[in-house]
Amino acid sequence: MVSITINEQTLEVEAGSTVLQAAERLGIDIPTFCYLKRLPALASCRMCLVEIEGLRRLQPSCATVVTEGMVVRTNTPLIDETRSSMLDMLLANHPLDCPICDKGGECELQDMVMAYGPRESQFRDAKRVFHSEDIRLSPVIIMNVNRCIQCQRCVRMCEEVVGAVALGTIEKGMDTAVTGFEGSLASCDQCGNCVEVCPVGALMSFPYRYKARPWDLAETDTVCPHCGTGCQLTVGTRKGEFMRVRSKAEHGVNRETLCVRGRFGLDFVTSPDRIERPMVRRDGTLVPVSWEEAGDYLRRRLLAIEAKPAGGLASPRLPNEMLYQFQKMMRTVFRTNNIDCSSRWSTPFDTLGPLVAGSYTRAPLEEVIGNDCVLVVGGNVTDENPVTEYLLRDGARRRHTGLLMLSARPSRLDADARAVLRALPGGEAASLAAVVAGLAAAARQAVPGDILAKIGTTTTGPGAADRLATALLEGRSVTVLVSVDLLRSPQARATLQQLNNLLQVLRLLGKGCAMQFLFDRANQLGAWDMGVVPLALPGLRAVDDEAAHATFERAWGAGIPSGPGADFDAMLELCDRGQMGALYIVGSDPLLSCPDRGFVQRALRTAGLLIVQDAFLTDTAGLADVVLPAASYGEESGTFTNNEGRIQKVCKFREPAFEARGNLAIFDFVTALRNQALRPSVQHEIFDEIARLIPAYDGLVRDGLGADGAFTKAALAPPVGEFFGPPSVPIATDRLMLVTGNCLFHNGYLSEHSEILNTVANDPYVEMGAWDAAQLGLSDCDQVVVRSAQGELTAQLKVNKQFPRGLVFVPENYRALRLNSLMRRKEYPCPVDIRKAHAAFEIATVAGAGAGPENLT
Amino acid sequence: MFEPVLLRNVDVPDGHLLATYRASGGYQALAKALDEHTPDEIIDLVKASNLRGRGGAGFPTGLKWSFVPKRAGKPKYLCCNADEGEPGTFKDRIIMERDPHQLIEGMAISAYAIGAETAYVYIRGEYTLAIQRLEQAIAEAHAQGYLGARIQGSDFNFVVHIHCGAGAYICGEETAMLDSLEGKRAQPRLKPPFPAVEGLYASPTVVNNVETLACVPHIVARGADWFRDIGPDKSPGPKLYCLSGQVRKPGLYELPMGISLRELVEDRAGGPLPGRKIKAVIPGGVSAPLIPAHGLDVGMDFDSLAAAGSMLGSAGVIVIDDSTCMVKVATRIIEFFHHESCGKCTPCREGLNWVVKVLRRIEAGQGAPGDLEQLEALCKGIFGNTFCALGDGAAMGLRAALVHFKHEFVAHIEERRCPYH
Amino acid sequence: MNMREKIQTAAARYPDQRSAIMPALLIAQKEHGHLPGPVLEEIADILDVERIWVYELATFYTLFHTEPVGMFHLQLCDNVSCMLRGAEDLLEHLEVVLGIKKGDTTPDGLFTLTTVECLGACEVAPVMQVGDDYHGDLNIARIDALLDRLRAVVGQATGAGIAAVAPPGE
Ligand SMILES: Cc1cc2nc3c(=O)[nH]c(=O)nc-3n(C[C@H](O)[C@H](O)[C@H](O)COP(=O)(O)O)c2cc1C
Ligand code: SF4
Ligand code: FES
Repeated sequence: MVSITINEQTLEVEAGSTVLQAAERLGIDIPTFCYLKRLPALASCRMCLVEIEGLRRLQPSCATVVTEGMVVRTNTPLIDETRSSMLDMLLANHPLDCPICDKGGECELQDMVMAYGPRESQFRDAKRVFHSEDIRLSPVIIMNVNRCIQCQRCVRMCEEVVGAVALGTIEKGMDTAVTGFEGSLASCDQCGNCVEVCPVGALMSFPYRYKARPWDLAETDTVCPHCGTGCQLTVGTRKGEFMRVRSKAEHGVNRETLCVRGRFGLDFVTSPDRIERPMVRRDGTLVPVSWEEAGDYLRRRLLAIEAKPAGGLASPRLPNEMLYQFQKMMRTVFRTNNIDCSSRWSTPFDTLGPLVAGSYTRAPLEEVIGNDCVLVVGGNVTDENPVTEYLLRDGARRRHTGLLMLSARPSRLDADARAVLRALPGGEAASLAAVVAGLAAAARQAVPGDILAKIGTTTTGPGAADRLATALLEGRSVTVLVSVDLLRSPQARATLQQLNNLLQVLRLLGKGCAMQFLFDRANQLGAWDMGVVPLALPGLRAVDDEAAHATFERAWGAGIPSGPGADFDAMLELCDRGQMGALYIVGSDPLLSCPDRGFVQRALRTAGLLIVQDAFLTDTAGLADVVLPAASYGEESGTFTNNEGRIQKVCKFREPAFEARGNLAIFDFVTALRNQALRPSVQHEIFDEIARLIPAYDGLVRDGLGADGAFTKAALAPPVGEFFGPPSVPIATDRLMLVTGNCLFHNGYLSEHSEILNTVANDPYVEMGAWDAAQLGLSDCDQVVVRSAQGELTAQLKVNKQFPRGLVFVPENYRALRLNSLMRRKEYPCPVDIRKAHAAFEIATVAGAGAGPENLT
Repeated sequence: MFEPVLLRNVDVPDGHLLATYRASGGYQALAKALDEHTPDEIIDLVKASNLRGRGGAGFPTGLKWSFVPKRAGKPKYLCCNADEGEPGTFKDRIIMERDPHQLIEGMAISAYAIGAETAYVYIRGEYTLAIQRLEQAIAEAHAQGYLGARIQGSDFNFVVHIHCGAGAYICGEETAMLDSLEGKRAQPRLKPPFPAVEGLYASPTVVNNVETLACVPHIVARGADWFRDIGPDKSPGPKLYCLSGQVRKPGLYELPMGISLRELVEDRAGGPLPGRKIKAVIPGGVSAPLIPAHGLDVGMDFDSLAAAGSMLGSAGVIVIDDSTCMVKVATRIIEFFHHESCGKCTPCREGLNWVVKVLRRIEAGQGAPGDLEQLEALCKGIFGNTFCALGDGAAMGLRAALVHFKHEFVAHIEERRCPYH
Repeated sequence: MNMREKIQTAAARYPDQRSAIMPALLIAQKEHGHLPGPVLEEIADILDVERIWVYELATFYTLFHTEPVGMFHLQLCDNVSCMLRGAEDLLEHLEVVLGIKKGDTTPDGLFTLTTVECLGACEVAPVMQVGDDYHGDLNIARIDALLDRLRAVVGQATGAGIAAVAPPGE
């Protein structure tokens, strides 16, 4: 600790602190422009100059490290004069067009001039003007260079935090201007973090432009619905209409940053695809009806199929309360454990359940990233969880975290990694096994012989796996972040087993271990916790756990079925065999996401009664017998549990559109049709019940979830002690292997309803490496046909230099692509052939694309 | 009579060739350093010589070298500052054009002393002849084993690369130069960390001026005492003075440190042009505050000039005679700094722009009452508050003109025209 | 060596490819006369660095031109030492005889006239750089003779020969 005196007050601060930080601790305000907490000091704006005893010149407090006995003054006449002088100079060329500036009212320059500025400027000469009209850098970002004060926050944010390196600074001196390559940001991430950190109205959000004055906005703090990172954001509405999203520097996992989906992708709530009224199928056609008519229809149909088993699928984007109530309804009213929350994979819950229950670290990501080593397994964190990626980059660059990557898909983060192990598509289990073997071989003496025998120590020799193992061995503590796309593969069980092996070996070696998943759905962890799975009750307790069974029957005052339920794939099979009664789908579009579209379509059509409860007219809704319009995100409140296990409030900021009703109200409505009732049925009471019955949520109080939410508690069980043998190694073939996943601009069906995201997103594309493309005589931007054993699609080719041979990627969220029609059930990755599209073919797909949900009319 | 050392080959035909250089005793100092001295001894020798940097700041060279960590676990770099952008300065160009081996030998010894195996010469892109000569000289030195692996049979390896600048004065500032070398926009870095600890590619780096490095072989060859005996003890050595402007014999002069400015201008350089009187002299490039004619009895060394309120800087001596409007000179100087401001910090970027606008107005006869007070206020806002010394240099230069030639500014404003037109 | 090879050779001097952006820009400008967007993209591609970095440098440094310049780029120093030796008069003269203002290019594309900061040759002020060459101790007569010489170079090399003797340019 170092002792320092500022304005006659003495305090102790940590060595290495800056004068600015020390002053902040004393509540002494020092004005800054170029300083941003999460960036290294730049010290260029010179607003924060202070007097330090013994030094001739004023010193920038943002960059001056305290020394023992330092005496600082921040309030002398000289400092007042200097601050005022800096502001005067900044204003000299500033256009002062505040009345028409979007930033007016929340502009740091305005505020600073009010606080410290000259009351009158002596500047009389003509001002510098870069341009007379604002520059549209991208569909969402518009720039007024005249207003820029050169704090470089945006450029540094873009390079250091986001890693996009899209913004830069051109020219020098007075001509210095911030811009993109050749004046365009067309190919940037469009995350808008540059807009967020701009202290003035230089970088602005185009969609929000001239829409409102800040003081006219009603602001609601809530959580992003797009991915599992769970970023905090603030929605601004005006007269009930959605206007914009901002983020706060001090709150949430994201600390002011957002990705394009969070910042610009919330306009889906006003999408034209919203379902306006309930609909029922009459003579093969869906017709709009009143809620009463829909109720009558539903009551009749439900009665007719009462004897048959039911099944339910709910989206892991729904709040905890809705998910909890859904499974309760399915279990007590529909009397089934056929419950699932994923249409994209079959979760091997026997392996996953214990892993999540016993090893999931429910703690701030920032904390777990602070470990010596972070191993990211699977996926592409840049595209799937952008804001998590920012934190990982920060860890690697500023905190010297050893970042290790193991995945089939390359990502931008690889560049910051200490070691990268490129797995074969679908070969993550084998790669993990190689790392485990390498680790065990290197630490032979610490690992008991029987375990060694089980996991094997045959290493692949000096390669990426060994480098990774060596790095893990060097770390004192290791965090493993696991992408859920691994669950897609039929190898998922083996992958999870190897993960288990890895964690156990690390523990044997005395390492501190942390593990979290990287979910692509906002409330995936919540969905598991809430028991929206066929094999577990809320709290991840097995359905055949008698104590748990009894607890819930008592609490719910109703019997619940025993024995494992069917997962969604098995439910479809039941449908296909004509054995399924009511299939109740909430907020999910399996016809788009579930492998083998033809099969899914057939199965959904043969379900006894297909109920779809959704805010949007999805492909699946097009097949429904009854469509119930539900409130969208933002139209009802609840809670999400994010990847960190942090539970946060999701808040309502507008009324449900048209005749849509809250999801809870709809569950009550349907339950009432069966002459039953769900108790409790209001959101905060449901929350209380969750807090009472689910141990991880024990004691949480909804009103106690502050701006940063609260952490659910892990009941970390010592690992099961079971070790698994190595998986079969996938044989590298000459085939191209298709993997799927999210891309930056779309993740899941919500994003395609956002007009803004659709504008900034690339057209549907197929990504492959340069070598493969050259072999096939293909070049960037060619239209290509991807054909599997099952089907084919046409899209534009994107050649990615980082892609390894044999890997093909198609983003899974373009409705028009119908990507799932290529995929077979229980097969992943999917072998494909690729060739150039012929002109005739292109015309055919253009006609096919844009076609709406099937069977709607 | 002072015998030139640094310029001894400059007027010799083919002075830039290795053969010529060797004939005048070239590369013997390198051999001596490698044979007879440890790196630490070389550092001590240079420390003892009191050699101070010729790039402008006058920092003791041996001391700077001693800041380089002995065991860094990283490569170390030597950067030769050959960006020579200070208006009125051309000494480094002449060394590189006419005696490039002198620089190479200096670099090799310096690199040996600090433990660097790689050097970059950051040279102005405009200096095409110097670049070509230096390239040729590096090739020759390589061929003769003065550069490359195991130099002269020692186990010292050393290569020199040329990095061409592309027209930005700020690259002369050592940390901006490092950013430029790393492929970034050339803007000064925060210090600490100092380059000697964390410089190029975050490795220990020494940046030295061409003339500084050229002094090193002579110190090794003739000893520290020889060097320290020339000129003032605290600021000694042979020195290159660049004479330009309204003076009879402009050119490059090698004379002892500390020579009187009057002697330099009036005797050596032949005094003012026929029929003219000296009005003022800028002693060290335009960053150095000008000295009015009556102040010329000052020693040309770091300390004496600083005491006189100016600085030795790059020793670019610019002579201004009585036919010249000082408002115009001041305007031109500030225009230069304004043009070359890198744009990083507020006072330099915005303040100088403001100053230029006011000065241009005054010069054009459109000054207004209050303008001079405003210029003074701006100088106050800029001086001491900028990120690097560029802004300071501008403010100091303007202040000197405002102090010593206030009457000319006042005349412009009152008469609403330039009295010199 | 083609441009790509020259750039790769230059890049070998540095431990980090980003350092080679400046040398690459100099090489590319020699090749193309100026630095339009596609050339900047090509450099980024060759060095595998961010495009914006290349763009930043191409605009920061005054020797780089993102717009075409004339076949002969007349760069007259008008800094203090040259100014004291009459650079202003020379500028005025050049503007008159070329019929253009500073910063412009003659309609025939032969001459671009700009003023530059100190060229570091003040001992022979006033100085002008044309292409790679310095011309010092200038006065009006010498300027006229120089312009004649430059025009003659083009005159002699009529037709196909121009490219062979002229500095690169559009
Ligand atoms: C704005 C500015 C411009 C400079 N220009 C040069 C220059 O052109 N050449 C030079 O050698 N040093 C220049 N310097 C000084 C260098 O920063 C540095 O002090 C010098 O290269 C160190 O070498 P030395 O110790 O051998 O003098 C400049 C400094 C500043 C602040
Ligand atoms: S003083 Fe000028 S040159 Fe130096 S950092 Fe500031 S803007 Fe750049
Ligand atoms: S905040 Fe310290 S200089 Fe800008």
